[in-house]
Amino acid sequence: MTRITRFVGGLALAAALAAPLAGTATAQSSDTDAQIMQGLSQATLFDPALTAQVLRQMAQDAVTQNLPLTLDKSEIAKRLDKLAQITVQIQFALGSDVIRPESYRTLGSIADAMHHPILANYKFIVVGNTDTTGTRAFNLKLSQERAQAIVQALIVVYGISPDRLEAVGLGQEALQVPSKPQDPINRRVQIFTIGTVGPMGSPVPTSAP
Amino acid sequence: MKRFLVGLAALLLAGMAGSASAQTMSYAEAGALIAKSCGPSIEKFCAKDNLGTGAVRNCLMAHQDQVPQQCFDDYAAARSSIAKRLAAQGDAWNVCNANIRQACAGVQPGDANILTCLQSASKVIRPACKDILVDAGWWQ
Repeated sequence: MTRITRFVGGLALAAALAAPLAGTATAQSSDTDAQIMQGLSQATLFDPALTAQVLRQMAQDAVTQNLPLTLDKSEIAKRLDKLAQITVQIQFALGSDVIRPESYRTLGSIADAMHHPILANYKFIVVGNTDTTGTRAFNLKLSQERAQAIVQALIVVYGISPDRLEAVGLGQEALQVPSKPQDPINRRVQIFTIGTVGPMGSPVPTSAP
Repeated sequence: MKRFLVGLAALLLAGMAGSASAQTMSYAEAGALIAKSCGPSIEKFCAKDNLGTGAVRNCLMAHQDQVPQQCFDDYAAARSSIAKRLAAQGDAWNVCNANIRQACAGVQPGDANILTCLQSASKVIRPACKDILVDAGWWQ
């Protein structure tokens, strides 16, 4: 995928040249269109064993057994880190899975990237995270519902194919800043590029003589 | 150097002209338009309804007398543009098939390779192909 990365680098550069004032880049959140495209297409490798089901089970087990899940130091976190990914802030109504209108644009930006030929043959996991306000079980359920709401909007409103998207809630089990567990910065949505939907297809045939 | 700058300016102008002539808005623009025109009404009347369920639209209709007409107009425009762009993205490779065979022989599909090839062959591609790539949002 090195070629993609170069191409996307070019896109991002073009966007930066065209709109030098538009980017309010932060370290954690990729909220501009170019950052979303760049983040999702930077994969150098995929990890076929790291599935939505594995992530769901891991979070569910930790909550059921009431065990600490130090995902930030875990092997799985290290493996997740290697995937192409973005972290976005989607605004939800308090304690619910209702996406607020101020985030409709961000969902559209994600759809723009996913529909582009650069990413058209890739699939994604949408991961919801909360902070530690509330109980672990409630947060796990809420984050799953929120991830599902994003997937639903991407499918129904923005026409992304359902076989390209899976939703996972990790609740409060994967804090972005473990030293500040109640900081709202931990409430975030991550999207990981996890592999291809189908084969890339054969090269275009050369014209018959 | 001067020639380079003139070339760069031409390229930038061409880029702007390209995006100005697009017949569809990006999905981000469509989402932003709905949020701008309908967001206040959604927050006021439909705070428990989620996008992608049909509930938001039903709720806005149920409060038709209190929701500005601009919201319904822009909502319809955004949905129609999204539909048009989705259709263009779905049909683009078929419409451009002749050009792809002509200009991109040997190119491996995927990772935008075909699009990159068509863009580099812009002088020979058919208007119908170019138009659909514009509607798809892939031709700037």
